[in-house]
Amino acid sequence: MDSRFHQELDQLRGNVLKMATLTEQAIEKAFKALRERDIELSDEIITRDQDIDLLEMEIDRSILRLLALDQPMARDLRFLIGCMRISADLERIADQAVSIAHRARYLSKRPPLPEDPVMKRLIETSLDMLHVALSCFAKLSVDQAMDVCMMDDEVDELNTQVLKNLMDYMIHEVPAIQRGVQTIITARCMERVADHCTNIAESVVFIVRGVNIKHHCEQI
Amino acid sequence: MVDAKIRIQQLSYAYAGEEALRNVTLDVQANAITALFGPAGGGKTTLLRLINRLNDLVEETSMRGSILLDGEDIYAPGTDVPELRRRVGMVFALPLPLPGTIRENVVCGPQLAGVRDWARLEEILERSLAQAALWNEVKDRLDSPAIALSGGQQQRLCIARSLALEPEVLLLDEPTSGLDPISTGKVEESLFELKQQYTIVIVPHSVQQAARVADYAAFFLMGELIEVQEGNQIFTTPRDQRTEDYVTGRFG
Repeated sequence: MDSRFHQELDQLRGNVLKMATLTEQAIEKAFKALRERDIELSDEIITRDQDIDLLEMEIDRSILRLLALDQPMARDLRFLIGCMRISADLERIADQAVSIAHRARYLSKRPPLPEDPVMKRLIETSLDMLHVALSCFAKLSVDQAMDVCMMDDEVDELNTQVLKNLMDYMIHEVPAIQRGVQTIITARCMERVADHCTNIAESVVFIVRGVNIKHHCEQI
Repeated sequence: MVDAKIRIQQLSYAYAGEEALRNVTLDVQANAITALFGPAGGGKTTLLRLINRLNDLVEETSMRGSILLDGEDIYAPGTDVPELRRRVGMVFALPLPLPGTIRENVVCGPQLAGVRDWARLEEILERSLAQAALWNEVKDRLDSPAIALSGGQQQRLCIARSLALEPEVLLLDEPTSGLDPISTGKVEESLFELKQQYTIVIVPHSVQQAARVADYAAFFLMGELIEVQEGNQIFTTPRDQRTEDYVTGRFG
């Protein structure tokens, strides 16, 4: 039978997974709100962000307690440190969902900009990254962690391309500048989501292998 | 490891045919703290006792392999065992002050070793107590009975008693197992100071203590040395699954 400590670690894992699910839903809904110009859905994302914030605080409290009371080592210690980092990244991703929801609210009340296939790819790639990163954590598997890190480079390039396309557009369509800027901010939010996904994948590698691949210090 | 003070080479040891250590090879580095840790019955205390030749009179034992101190086999015929024990001090789990005063406890070793110069004995007394982080607490009552000291102070007195003989190696077998956290902290602090001058081998009373004090840590399981690594490695990223299971409490 598992010790109390290991049962509490399982509960912690459950809470981080719950936070992951809520965060992934928030991001998906944010894009739905953006795509479907849904103000009600935007409001829901903004309101429900508090649930994610509260869950992060609960996770922090339980990690602090487990560190202080049980002085864990090896993989258990790495797991706790990893969960602390991952929950912070999830909270920041959820904040990006809120930011996108605000942009969606603003843009929904104004004429739409022409559809940009690069922006569509940016959104899809970022969502893929989030899904793969969270799947790595759920399975505690590093198999796809490097894929996430590589996808981040693609997102950076797509974000630059979106910025370039919108600037070209705004030069000719001055009345669209405000909407253009809000869309640039949305793309920037996605780029940040991708950065947090990379952090999550790196944390999974740290938990599983005990190596730090941040800043390409070490390879898997 | 470089600069090994003690080299244990393919050491096997058995009590009445029952193997306590199996083919252990381990280098103990000079001026560092090496922790031997693992579950009970792993052979840690046996290994400590063998480094000090404390098992010489235990019957029905057998030993293979060798233990080298500064390159010399301590089990070679003609080894001066009292001299070995002067060079290799040992402190046990239970503090055992000798009947008598604090001063007598510390200077009795040097006196037995032939030191007659009172000024020299006073100097040894102060140095040993200071190195064991006890001087400030007892300097005004050196002629009080040692037994009146607290448990933590008694244990540090036992460390001071070992240091009075100016050993090169200090072996500590669960030296804080009976002490409260404050006293434990003081003993651990004194170890950090002592390692500048001495080679320390400790069997800690918990994995947490091993993690706190060890420069190098060796994990023993049923007489076998499973792995040895730098302390900050073995407790965060152990190489062997058995070590991982033990330090995370999943063992057995």
